[in-house]
Amino acid sequence: MKMDRSKIGRDTLGGLGGNRTGRAAGAKPESYLPIQAEVVDIDVESSNTYLLSLRPMDEEDELVTVNYSPGQFLMVSVFGLGECPISIASSPTRDPLQICVREAGRITQGIMAARVGDVLGIRGPFGNGFPVGSMRGKNVLIAGGGSGFATLRSLINYIADDRRDFRDVTVVYGARTSQDLYFTSEYGSWQAAKIEVGITVDMMDASWKGNVGLVTSLLADLDPAPGTAALCGPPMMIRAVAKDLTSRGFVESDIYISLERHMKCGVGKCEHCTMGPYHVCTDGPIFSYDVVGELI
Amino acid sequence: MTATCAFFLRRENLLSLVEELAETLEVVAPVRVEGVATFATWRGEALALDGDNLLASPLEFFLPQKEVLFRYVQYSGRYTFSEDAPRARLILGMRPCDLQALKVIDGIFGSEIPDRPYAGRRMSTIIVALNCTSPGEGCFCRSMGSGPGAEEGYDLLLTDLGRGYLVEAGSPVGVYILRAHQRHFEEADPGDFREKVRLLALTGEEMIKRGPSLNPEEIREAIDGTDWKEAGRRCLACGGCSLVCPVCHCFSVIDRGVPDGERLRCRDSCILSGFSRMTSGANPRATLGERLRHWYLDKFVYIPEKTGLFGCVGCGRCSRVCLGEVDRWSPFKEATE
Repeated sequence: MKMDRSKIGRDTLGGLGGNRTGRAAGAKPESYLPIQAEVVDIDVESSNTYLLSLRPMDEEDELVTVNYSPGQFLMVSVFGLGECPISIASSPTRDPLQICVREAGRITQGIMAARVGDVLGIRGPFGNGFPVGSMRGKNVLIAGGGSGFATLRSLINYIADDRRDFRDVTVVYGARTSQDLYFTSEYGSWQAAKIEVGITVDMMDASWKGNVGLVTSLLADLDPAPGTAALCGPPMMIRAVAKDLTSRGFVESDIYISLERHMKCGVGKCEHCTMGPYHVCTDGPIFSYDVVGELI
Repeated sequence: MTATCAFFLRRENLLSLVEELAETLEVVAPVRVEGVATFATWRGEALALDGDNLLASPLEFFLPQKEVLFRYVQYSGRYTFSEDAPRARLILGMRPCDLQALKVIDGIFGSEIPDRPYAGRRMSTIIVALNCTSPGEGCFCRSMGSGPGAEEGYDLLLTDLGRGYLVEAGSPVGVYILRAHQRHFEEADPGDFREKVRLLALTGEEMIKRGPSLNPEEIREAIDGTDWKEAGRRCLACGGCSLVCPVCHCFSVIDRGVPDGERLRCRDSCILSGFSRMTSGANPRATLGERLRHWYLDKFVYIPEKTGLFGCVGCGRCSRVCLGEVDRWSPFKEATE
């Protein structure tokens, strides 16, 4: 087994501008006690996906809502059901803190059953986040598939709010049907910020007049120039997109993948999310393709 | 560590010392529970310090099989939480292998983002270790560099010299205990130290005689050459090895109770099929062979990478409990012979 943590450090963690969000060096011990956050707004993104806006109940916890990086995640609790990792869907440049939750199991069902005014527990932010520091000044290609688009929306809005710092920015996103597309109301604002947006669906339906096909077909149309890339989606899609991008001249170490794993702690202790030598929760969830290409 | 403070403790004085310590602290020691020697809170029973190391490791007192992380009580939709404070405790009779295991766990639970429940227990526990002069059948601590003698990580260290114990302090707390309970001790003489060295050397030789020594570097290489599919066929996936391993620390978290209740942490095992399975059903380590391979890789490659220490201390417990009647180290013994 090849192991090269220095590579990770250089390619992902190092690019974060030190923002492993105040949790790495000298972090206070993890007591596993969540902070309480009130659900202040709920948007329905699709039939089985809600976008929840959260506000910490305690003023002293409010730092959580700004002190994070795109790509990081929270451990979200429904007391009595448990806790699970959910990626942050909002950008730290914008209020409020938002999570995008798709119905998958007991806990996500519990989160989606919350009404405005209800309280959820949150711990975090955890993980390394996208290396936005090393993306600055470069072309950025963002490719998402299905619910993986939630964490990329954080990055897209982050870039949109700091647009001059990045060169050409292209977003490609695919979902099963047009009903499953997230954040449809925001595509216009991204385009207004000079972000090229390509959307596709796997299955045609009456209301859909756009592209049908795989995300890679959008790459053929949009022909993004080499630079850095941020990917999140099913492993099949990740492999196909990464292969396509390298053929276009993207370097594997500049292609960043957000990975999903079963997690119980978020702080590198419970071992559920281990992938080879890495803990997805603390070494990731963002890895460069040269590091994890063989493992996904 | 060179002991700056050491005494001799007569065998018959040990119990009265423990009695005195138990007045102010919870003393955990090997005692017989339903005939089986195990670490438990001492309540005046005879001590079971002699013989092989115990099957259940003292890790239970740092990372319990089940613990309450916190309790939640709801009022008007808002929650109030409470956490238990760690108790002052003394563990008597921890063997060098288990001491080394704790050092490994320190490297995982005490670093980067420290685990508060663990750190709390660790800080409030006094360790009275016992040098090992009676290794069990499957022990190979000598190969792993974790025994039979302890070098560090204890407050007090006992060596059984037959007529009594050599007691050496390894920390200020240890010195304090020796000083505070001085009436139980006698002056140690240079012969006691020589006897300790002789007994440990004898124990080490005994271990070598019993079988091939397992070289961690060679095991590391042998992992790649092992037929894990075949190993998976012999394994019954009971998770017993993880249950008794003093380094295994995987856990799961569950809530119990609505609207009031508690969040529990329970030890888990990466050998079990659902360990890595995601809600979507995708399972990154779906086969038993892959999970076994990960178990060994973690101990010999990943944990060393993270902590600088091997994730195996050579206590041999995994082989003792294996229901698949597999010597867990046999593939490597063959490889290193």
